[in-house]
Amino acid sequence: MTDTAAPLRQRSDFWLRFRHSRNAMIGAVIVTVVVLVAVFAPWLAPKDPTKVSVLFSWRHPGEDGFILGTDALGRDVFSRLILGARVSLLVAVSVLAITMTVGVILGMIAAWTRGWTDGIIMRTVDVVFAFPELIIAILVAAVMGPGTLTVIVALAMVWWPGIARMTRALVLGLREELFVEAAVACGTPPWKIMLRHFLPNIVSPLIVRASIGVGFIIMAEATLSFLGIGVQEPAPTWGGMIRDGLPHLRSDPHLALSASAALGITMIGFNMLGDGLRDILDPKVRL
Amino acid sequence: MTAFLSKRLAALLLVWFVAVIVTFVAVQFVPGDPIMVLLSDHSGDQVMEARLRAEYGLDRPLWQQFLSYLGSIADGTFGLSYRFAGREVFEVIQGGLFITPILAIAALLLAIPSGVFLGVAAAVRAGSLADTAIILVLVAGISVPNFALATVLVYLLSIQAGMLPVAGWGSFAQAVLPVVVLTIPPMAYIARLTRSYMLEVLERDYIRTARAKGVRDRLVVWRHALRNTMVPLMTSIGIIFGGLLSGAFVVETIFNIPGLGRIAIDSIFARDYPVTMSIVLLFTVFYSLINLAVDVSYALIDPRIRLGGEGA
Repeated sequence: MTDTAAPLRQRSDFWLRFRHSRNAMIGAVIVTVVVLVAVFAPWLAPKDPTKVSVLFSWRHPGEDGFILGTDALGRDVFSRLILGARVSLLVAVSVLAITMTVGVILGMIAAWTRGWTDGIIMRTVDVVFAFPELIIAILVAAVMGPGTLTVIVALAMVWWPGIARMTRALVLGLREELFVEAAVACGTPPWKIMLRHFLPNIVSPLIVRASIGVGFIIMAEATLSFLGIGVQEPAPTWGGMIRDGLPHLRSDPHLALSASAALGITMIGFNMLGDGLRDILDPKVRL
Repeated sequence: MTAFLSKRLAALLLVWFVAVIVTFVAVQFVPGDPIMVLLSDHSGDQVMEARLRAEYGLDRPLWQQFLSYLGSIADGTFGLSYRFAGREVFEVIQGGLFITPILAIAALLLAIPSGVFLGVAAAVRAGSLADTAIILVLVAGISVPNFALATVLVYLLSIQAGMLPVAGWGSFAQAVLPVVVLTIPPMAYIARLTRSYMLEVLERDYIRTARAKGVRDRLVVWRHALRNTMVPLMTSIGIIFGGLLSGAFVVETIFNIPGLGRIAIDSIFARDYPVTMSIVLLFTVFYSLINLAVDVSYALIDPRIRLGGEGA
């Protein structure tokens, strides 16, 4: 048997189960659409989403060629929705990149060194867990002032401990494996063991974690933007659009309802994909 | 049990201590001088500036400020507000002090029974059309953010049907929508947990034994199986409560409810840091007490937790 045979069979097995999971497929379709919209947003948006034209304010859907109407400043709601996907995903990807890097590195160090380094890292994790998520965000917003960077910093602070704790638990299990012992005996430096031996073995639970995480990060970003302490005007965000649209729910329901629908469908997509991936990659844990 | 309790209490005190330090340090890093904001038009008046600085204790060395911060927390005044000159923080927040916990507890009390019921109903019909329908509703309930849900419900029930008030606080009718919006996400979460635990428990041997003995189906499900489902469910109460506290911020903003969440958001924009930090402290204390209660009751039920080293 060649070296590539085993992983190849695993991979085709993955796609087979993926295609058979209805949740994963529906979620994947929704997520793909959202991602494509986010990537190609500037070309897809029919109008400039930040262009203010008071002459065209408060248009209802369909009027004057505005597919979903306009807001109080005459900005095209449809274009803002499209660009809103981009803002949400950019925040989510940044937070994910930061938390994955920090969490995996610290988790590995904790599991490898044990002793007092482990103690310090894990007690820090415990303390962060002891605070409600939004309270951390409020604290960061109070110090840094509302803004995109605030959202990213706040959510990164909330998310890295979970990744670190998970990585530590996984690596503690791997440490006892024979191939790690062999690597140590051969004099492989610790960083190489982490990169070559630990990382590939914890990738699939990390992917599940990330796919569930993206949904929650998008939700958290939208919540902060809704509360007004997140991404600021004129950047279009779904949370911000809902907040601006709420007072006009009676006369112009399309403002808040269209953003609510976009956010709701996106969240459902990410959650279904996350659940599906969890079932496929990690059949032991079913929540 | 004593060892377990003292360990948990020590952890609790550590968290409170960290919260006090973090809030104090955070205010030191905040941009701008609060006294100049308070002075506004009188920013040239040095006599008034010195008086205010003395009143707020900002002319003293940092360690003295920290001690008086500790003192203000101990006596429950939480120091002086930056926005409302001369008023104690407690006066500013006392109106909302009970609103947020009441909202959160009401939602929790509704979410637990309804979630458990939905979860069990789905589990005993696993694979059927009813099960699929419940799962779809649950996925939506967990996924859709509460403010998007609130927007849709306000539009349908208040504006289109005219059944409920759009916003406000004081009457029962005004409390219905906020509580419903707060209840749905944790309800869906509990139902999903219950369903999966239930499916697992229903496979166990003792359930088969009970069935073989001729115990009626309903009894098997609601007594034998549910009891063992409740134990893992309890650990998630802490997470659920954290979600409810965040939900309270959102719901209070949407429905114009004068709770702690709204006061906190308002105080961020007003740069009233003492008020923001006092609410951060209160929420932390509240959250940690709930988690302690969950841990203790869990340990009472399951001896493995209090005897074994690591908790959850």
